[in-house]
Amino acid sequence: MLEIKCPVCGVVGEEGDFHGGGQAHITRPATDNPANISDEAQRDYLFMRHNPKGLHFERWRCDRGCGKWFHAARDTVTNEFKAYYSIRELPPVELMKAATGSWAEYFKDKMVTK
Amino acid sequence: MSDPVFRGGLAGAKAIDGSISVSAIDDRGMIDLRGDIKDKKFVAATKKVLGISLPAQPRQSVNKGEVTALWLSPDQWLITCPRAKGAHLANGLQTALAGIHSLAVDVSDARSIIRLEGQGAKEVLMKGAPVDLLASEYTDGYVRRLRFAELAAMIHVVSSDPEIIDLYVFRSYAQYAWDWLAATSTKQSRLSLFANQSIASV
Amino acid sequence: MTGKPYRLPDDSGAGRLLDRSKPLSFTFDGKKMTGYAGDTLASAVMANGRRVMGRSFKYHRPRGLITMGSEEPNALVGVGTGSRREPNLRATQVELFDGMTSVSQNRWPSLDFDVGIINNHMSRLFPSGFYYKTFMWPKTFWHKVYEPVIRNAAGLGVAPDGVDPDSYEQVHVHCDVLVVGGGVAGLAAAQAAAANGKRVMICDETPRLGGIADISNELIDGKSQLDWVREQAASLTAADNVHVMTRATVIGHYHHNYLMIFERLTDHNPALAAAGAPRHRLWKVRAGKVILASGASERTMTFANNDRPGVMLSSAARTLVERYGVAPGLMGLIFANNDDAYITALSLKRSGVGIARIVDVRENPQSEIITAAQDAGIETMFGHAVAGVETSAGGKQIDAVKIAPYVKGRGRVVNEITVPADFIAVSGGWNPVAHLWCHNGGKLQWDDTLACFKPKSHDDDIAIVGSANGTMDLAGCLKEGYAAGEKAGGKARLKKPRVVVRKQAPVEPMWFSPATGKYNEGNKHFIDLQNDVTAADLELAQREGYESVEHTKRYTTLGMATDQGKNSNVPGMGIIAEATGKAVPEVGTTTFRPPYTPFSFGAIAGTQRGKLFHVIRRTAVYDWHTSQTSVMEPVGDWRRPYCYPQGGESQQDAINREILNVRNNVGILDASTLGKIEIKGPDAGEFLNRMYTNMFAGLKTGKCRYGLMMNEMGFLMDDGVTAKLADDHYLMHTTSGGADRIAAWLEEWLQTEWYDLKVYVTPVTEQWSQFAIAGPNARKVLEKLGSDIDLSHEALPFMAMATGDIAGFPVRLFRISFSGELSFEVATPANYGQDLWDKILEAGKEFGIAPYGTEALHVLRAEKGFIVVGDETDGTVTPHDVGMSWAVSKKKPDYIGKRSLEQAFLTEPGRKQLVGLATTDPNEVLPDGAPAVESGKLTGHVTSSYWSPTLKRSIAMALVKNGSERMGEKISFPLADKVIEAEIVDPVFYDKEGARQNV
Repeated sequence: MLEIKCPVCGVVGEEGDFHGGGQAHITRPATDNPANISDEAQRDYLFMRHNPKGLHFERWRCDRGCGKWFHAARDTVTNEFKAYYSIRELPPVELMKAATGSWAEYFKDKMVTK
Repeated sequence: MSDPVFRGGLAGAKAIDGSISVSAIDDRGMIDLRGDIKDKKFVAATKKVLGISLPAQPRQSVNKGEVTALWLSPDQWLITCPRAKGAHLANGLQTALAGIHSLAVDVSDARSIIRLEGQGAKEVLMKGAPVDLLASEYTDGYVRRLRFAELAAMIHVVSSDPEIIDLYVFRSYAQYAWDWLAATSTKQSRLSLFANQSIASV
Repeated sequence: MTGKPYRLPDDSGAGRLLDRSKPLSFTFDGKKMTGYAGDTLASAVMANGRRVMGRSFKYHRPRGLITMGSEEPNALVGVGTGSRREPNLRATQVELFDGMTSVSQNRWPSLDFDVGIINNHMSRLFPSGFYYKTFMWPKTFWHKVYEPVIRNAAGLGVAPDGVDPDSYEQVHVHCDVLVVGGGVAGLAAAQAAAANGKRVMICDETPRLGGIADISNELIDGKSQLDWVREQAASLTAADNVHVMTRATVIGHYHHNYLMIFERLTDHNPALAAAGAPRHRLWKVRAGKVILASGASERTMTFANNDRPGVMLSSAARTLVERYGVAPGLMGLIFANNDDAYITALSLKRSGVGIARIVDVRENPQSEIITAAQDAGIETMFGHAVAGVETSAGGKQIDAVKIAPYVKGRGRVVNEITVPADFIAVSGGWNPVAHLWCHNGGKLQWDDTLACFKPKSHDDDIAIVGSANGTMDLAGCLKEGYAAGEKAGGKARLKKPRVVVRKQAPVEPMWFSPATGKYNEGNKHFIDLQNDVTAADLELAQREGYESVEHTKRYTTLGMATDQGKNSNVPGMGIIAEATGKAVPEVGTTTFRPPYTPFSFGAIAGTQRGKLFHVIRRTAVYDWHTSQTSVMEPVGDWRRPYCYPQGGESQQDAINREILNVRNNVGILDASTLGKIEIKGPDAGEFLNRMYTNMFAGLKTGKCRYGLMMNEMGFLMDDGVTAKLADDHYLMHTTSGGADRIAAWLEEWLQTEWYDLKVYVTPVTEQWSQFAIAGPNARKVLEKLGSDIDLSHEALPFMAMATGDIAGFPVRLFRISFSGELSFEVATPANYGQDLWDKILEAGKEFGIAPYGTEALHVLRAEKGFIVVGDETDGTVTPHDVGMSWAVSKKKPDYIGKRSLEQAFLTEPGRKQLVGLATTDPNEVLPDGAPAVESGKLTGHVTSSYWSPTLKRSIAMALVKNGSERMGEKISFPLADKVIEAEIVDPVFYDKEGARQNV
């Protein structure tokens, strides 16, 4: 049973009070132009997931609290939460740099320090 | 025809006198209000109708006279008032908020409220809710949505001394929550935590 | 042994926990016995001269107690009677009370004479893996012969009869620091952690704090350890920021310092349970930091027939004397490889128990305590080991102990001597109790000096101190305790006590003492006492190639009994190491999993039993429904009336009557469970366009539209009618089961993908009671009730809605129909629901109104060919599959599932489509889910099937391969006892034009 902190309302609660939303930072291709998406791209969007041992970016909802979705970066070995951030945000740059697989690809050109 | 007969979700539930006292509150009006707290028009319109400013801080409530605004989410509040005024206040909000992106719905019948009174109310809730009710923020006016007895619920600390806590559950779950409280607030199952312990055996 | 004076006299100074002014009577295996307040069941039975407390699992050998606490493998007992009988309790933990009824286990017909002992003499037939080897053939024998025989012979205690009369509960508590274990190290840790006001919990599995302080001999601040513990316990329990728990076992450690504590409140005092106190309480604790001070458990050394009653751990012998005033026997022999056993020797001596000698495997150990023992006149014998025991009375009585010279690794010796003694106190060293450390990934490492596994590293915020950390000296325990407490609670200004450090001679590991004789000829060397695993079994497993310790464990069942190898794991690995010539750490470590000790099902269930077993949702009319019918159907967590049988009516007759009454007169259905969600904002129309497959943009205020919802994979997930309340304001209906899920689904898309849309969503399912009034007379009923809404077909046509007043009730009124009849759904605030229901029934009486249940609802919709998401769909069905391509927009640029629906595999031919089925025999009703088989291949299945009283024949819907192109064809459904044939037909069976609802 993980202990999770919602970055929106600041509540700290049990995993059971949150709803896990799976892998984060997946682009929905159809939002922009459904007609131009290949079957392969749609398949990857629906089913292909990155499941590394270590740093994992994921979505959670503060289900029994404020009801808002947020992002979290968690180490799947130690279960340590490395960061919580808004559902509309990218992770901290140092975590983007440490990302693997499809995330590394996705973050590649987004690591702009403000 | 005669006036509609009112029958709350806990009609017929007799108050419980155990380790604490447990009773049903039927006569409260409730409005679910959604809007953008950064929108000055929304803030002004709601203040005009309710007579209070909506709490912006998480898990806080604001009360003046008969009206209380409980924080539910950064863009959602539960307004409570005497039941007789619920529809009137909801209409007032809807009128004042015309043209402002918002949603005000009378939900006076959607929830049942159970009042827990007496020293040990928090300990009774702790038998069903996995939150740190002994933390210092659980003081007068504090609001928290939580899982209680596996149900979606909310508590409002009406007063911390003497201890009065209102437990809000959805109407269809009210009897279950009530039965749960009856089972866990017996005098024999009183739970004394930290202070008030007798000396342990050695 | 019966009748001998095993209770030591009061003036011996032994038995500090006894209150000799309070004698208690109890029974053990039906025999009346007496004990004192303060006794455990084990000590009281021993005091009554009874040493055999059970028989072993496999060989049914007589067994006595070995340990002093929860790690006890042998003395398993059943306590209580009837519905309060609890099996498999460890007698060493059971606190005696007056009137206790207790029984031994694994014996038949009696403890003294056991038929199963034959297994002992046939033990060559029971080697490692004997289950696998023996009961494999013939296969048909398993069910009828082998399994019943094994189940009778094996198994532990007897389950209680009837319903558990006690109550149980759980509680969630948070603390800054949880200290596990109330011994010296734990108390020091708790004091330091609490000194700055942090919220601290400390718990111990025994009834009292102090650990083994009371049976230790060193001083703290010049006082006895017991006095020091008394002071600490008093100040901790008095502190407002400390919660002290006894009889509370931490049974599991989980992620992020989440722990479960099993607290026993009434087991020691049945009067409390009788008065209504909860019997057990399961604490779910979230701790900021955890300090494990769980101590160490003594281990045995293996010699021939080391399981005989009277062979026990040195700490157990000492405990019996010091705490309970019970002599383990008349003449004891102490067998040691470390200094701790000498404290036992001195304790026994002081209390007047005879000591034959101390046999120590070490060559020439030197320390203060050894000298003290010698000075007290106790004979010591170094460089020797116990090689076996001589017994009488069928192994129940030890007469003498065989001793042989011992040199590590030398193997079998012949020149042994025999010394008379009737009990042996063995100390093979101490193992840190690191179970909790390991539950959530903590690592262990082998310590050569202590010859044990001790904690190495952990990812959580958890510290381990004292003997649990392999720190076996008092000064070290205190130092580590205070340090960990300060680290957790902040620098504390505590006056640390002084301890005189006494040097100990080091422990010398000894796993196995060879016997003079052969294995299995009366010379069993037991490693796992509870599962009867011997050294020979482990060696056999090695010879047969079970090299991995994990395989050996499963093959021999080493460490797999209810004690989880607390006593046997390390000696077992020591034996394997010696057999394979490896070092112990090369053999492997073991994994400890929760729970640390067995705990009750009652504690797991907590409050959730009886009417609280599962959440039940009730509509406002629930009490009325249950007063009219006992047939309630679970729909999600809701309970809905299935049908309302009248008089002696059968359920089927009631359903038929309810259906025909809707078709011919008027029926009323409690539809309050339907999901209702208010959706408002300037982009609400666009949002609905994206959530549903069909268009919502053109919908006019006051009108309703049926919508289909897909998930992103293009499969149907929900459906329902959405009404437009105002320009920017909609009310969505969902399926009853989908209400919460769909509300969350809408929020998810608004928050995570389309946050540019200005839309607010609020679920209002609970606000409304909603009733369907359906049938040709529906309008007449509403007219009689009176309304400010124009109810005419012209003003309120099919798929229109209005807000107003009916009979004085504020209502929303919808002209929607799931039955195909003229139908109004009327919604009123839930607290008026019961009264409106009553008034509708009253007004409808003259028009033949009758309530109908969920089954009539389903038949009515099936007659009309309406789908139910979840019946006709199973998560792999598209709108095209169910013949609803008309509801799939081609114009809208994007909506959920649109792109997936065009994927090649969803558009290729050969998919299953929804069809109707008319059985060749109209009286034959297909079972739900019946498979269609054609040319030996599965080509479809029945999704819904009913008797239609309207059509006076059976009707069914099915998903059939290429079904929509196969109208008129016949297919067959092979069942267990027959084949049913049916014709593929249009799924709309009744009123195909939809004329009846449109009046």
